[in-house]
Amino acid sequence: MSDVALIHVVDDDESQRVALLRLLGAAGFETRGYGSTGEFLLQPLPDQPGCLLLDMHLPGPSGLELQAALQRQGSGLPVVFLTGYGDVASSVRAMKAGAVDFLSKPIERDALLDAIGRALARDRALRAAGREAADLRSRFAALTPREREVFEGVVAGKLNKQIAEGLGIAERTVKLQRAQMMRKLGAGSAAELGALAERLKGLSSHHSSED
Amino acid sequence: MRCARALLGLLGCALLLPSASPATAAEEPHVLVLFGYQRALPATIKVEQGLDETIAAGTEVSVEFLDSARFSGESYVRSVTRFLSEKYSRRSPQVIVAGGEDALTFLLAHREGLFPHAPIIHLGIRPSVLASLAPFPADVVGIPIEFDAMRTIDLALRLSPRAKRLVLVTGAAPWDRAWEARLRAEVPRFAARVTPEFLAGLPTDELLERLRALDRDSIVFTPGYFRDGNGESFIPLAAGAAMAQSASVPVFAPSDTTMGTGIVGGYCPSYVAMGREVGRAVNALLDGVAAEALELPAVLPTTLNLDWNQVRRWRLDQDQIPDHAVIHFREPGFLEAHRREAILLTVVMLLQSGLIVWLLVERRRRRVAEQAEQKQRFALIHASRVSVAGELTGSIAHEINQPLGAILSNTDAAELILGAGAGPGAATDTEAESWPDPARHRELRAILADIRRDDLRASEVIRRLRALLGKQRTESKPLDLVEVAGEVFALLRVEARRRAVTLSLSPAVPRAMILGDRVQVQQIMIILTINAMDAMANVATDRRIAVLAIEERARHVRISVTDHGTGIAPEHLEQVFESFFSTKQDGMGLGLAIARTLVNAHHGRIWAENVAAGGARFQVELPALGRTKRNRKVSINTRHRHE
Repeated sequence: MSDVALIHVVDDDESQRVALLRLLGAAGFETRGYGSTGEFLLQPLPDQPGCLLLDMHLPGPSGLELQAALQRQGSGLPVVFLTGYGDVASSVRAMKAGAVDFLSKPIERDALLDAIGRALARDRALRAAGREAADLRSRFAALTPREREVFEGVVAGKLNKQIAEGLGIAERTVKLQRAQMMRKLGAGSAAELGALAERLKGLSSHHSSED
Repeated sequence: MRCARALLGLLGCALLLPSASPATAAEEPHVLVLFGYQRALPATIKVEQGLDETIAAGTEVSVEFLDSARFSGESYVRSVTRFLSEKYSRRSPQVIVAGGEDALTFLLAHREGLFPHAPIIHLGIRPSVLASLAPFPADVVGIPIEFDAMRTIDLALRLSPRAKRLVLVTGAAPWDRAWEARLRAEVPRFAARVTPEFLAGLPTDELLERLRALDRDSIVFTPGYFRDGNGESFIPLAAGAAMAQSASVPVFAPSDTTMGTGIVGGYCPSYVAMGREVGRAVNALLDGVAAEALELPAVLPTTLNLDWNQVRRWRLDQDQIPDHAVIHFREPGFLEAHRREAILLTVVMLLQSGLIVWLLVERRRRRVAEQAEQKQRFALIHASRVSVAGELTGSIAHEINQPLGAILSNTDAAELILGAGAGPGAATDTEAESWPDPARHRELRAILADIRRDDLRASEVIRRLRALLGKQRTESKPLDLVEVAGEVFALLRVEARRRAVTLSLSPAVPRAMILGDRVQVQQIMIILTINAMDAMANVATDRRIAVLAIEERARHVRISVTDHGTGIAPEHLEQVFESFFSTKQDGMGLGLAIARTLVNAHHGRIWAENVAAGGARFQVELPALGRTKRNRKVSINTRHRHE
């Protein structure tokens, strides 16, 4: 995985597209240009930090439609809109759908790079969060069924004694399982475990929505 | 004339020869006519003509002239007396005619020594003069004349109602002075009407100069003159003619001998008539009638003689010409010659004139209406431009911002490449030092080329916009509708994309020529196409298709725009073209009204219809510019291919 950010530029105006690619290239980014929504969707997205600089009016599906399609796919690629003429309605729609910014042509270099920078920051954050979530899931997956039951009891705020009773096992066994479970999940205290559980809950709900 | 008389005399003698017993010359009647003035005097010639016409054939007429205006004095009188006495000693006249006052006084003074037994008939002498010479012996009779100066002046004033000055011209000879005295005595009767002014006894040059400089409100009366202020001799007619030719105003004179010389006319005795009257008296005397028994008119009546050319030249009041006037130089009018035809012709001409007048009035009325209509059309066209521009604001901004954005990004990129602007990961110093790097050099060249191209692209958009908005006047030029439709597409491409409408241009012909205004025809197409897009705002995107078609009909070129919207309610099919009619929420209802106005201005028609498959079709027919057969053939082929 490359550290250099990859900026995708979708603009049907070739002159504008080439100029943007030149500018972003000179600014040190990797770039890829596309003349239409379809052209972009046909290319596989590499696992590389980056963002999408998207024109609003395109032949075929519009920029807004591409943004919606990416969301449906669960892609977290941040989108910066850049349009020749943006009306209020479409800018509101774009921002509501999670766009980083909604820019108008002609765009100043600093404003453009600033928006790209924010998009990349969001991408980094998303990627970091994603990595963390994956780590957490793998750690959770390492728990034995019994340890998982103890985990749920602890998160529910039950005492060891109550958990032992509920599971029909000795309180000492619960203590042992709890220590192992905390070590596997990397949690130092019951409070940390609680926070972890919250995040896991979020991940699982996200997963369920994706299914 | 004398030759003619001599011939006549010879002929008469020849005719008499067979029947007459040896007749001596002395038995032939002999008449002497003595004129006081020179022989070239027109009055003299006219009198002679009258005498000649009436004096019986076989009478010998001798004519002598005293020429007293030029010659006078006792010795002259003596020499003339001797001359006449010697000349006529063996052929004494039986009758003597005295032409004029001078001739009469000469004869009265010398008749005893010359021709004591011949009766005298005088002519051409005014009654007042005769009264001063009388009493005459019983065998001296005559026909007095009166130059009716006052009647002439009165007529002149009636013919020139605007005249304020009456200029009276006389000369320096005794005859002229007598005229002046008489006029001075009689003219005051017109003082209430005009200001009399005398030009008496002036040198002719000066006189003509004065006449030339007269104000327009003057008229001139003159009996002519025998002698001017320089002592030069004239024939009164010649003097009058010279005056008439110089004067800037009409000149009246009491003489019929002046007709055709430029003088308008006046009341005067007819010299020919006078000659005839005297001729008849001569015949009677020769037949043995006593002089005192002759029935002669107390005074020869005057007649009014007018020169028609002068009446028209001075625009005199023709209504004031009395019926008894003798009009000279007037062609017998067409009316008089061909009355029926003239009436018919007049009726036809009146009808024609009426028609022409009506057509002119109609044309003027129509032009006024057209101007009003044109004004209204300009207002609508302006509204149309504004509304079209409003509709296209988004597209235009997009179209301009696109190249501007490219230019800016290219410039920014070039700056970064040159290392001037340090962005994240910008060119390092070492890279900058490696300049000129051929790859970066190429890149910069490409950037500059792109900037140039985009700059031109942006200005092209602005030029199109200016053409659409900034034009003031309508111009009719040959236009290719297919080409115009192509331009409209370039303008609407972005708008269509913005509205997710598929635009399709379907020309059935390679070219469709009309005579029209490019921008206005563009606007018709724009309005109809935007209207079609509006109609499809609420249908699914895959149904949003607008088709602009150009076809050829027999004598028309047809533009049609078909949409796939919901169609037009049948009761609205006519109404859609009315101003401020709109079924749209935010519609002004101007677009189609403007389109119709523009179509009408191009002598075409526009109508709307629903399409069976759903949607509406707006059709415009414009008169086609004449094309060649070959082109028509091509178009038919093309149409087949399309079908």
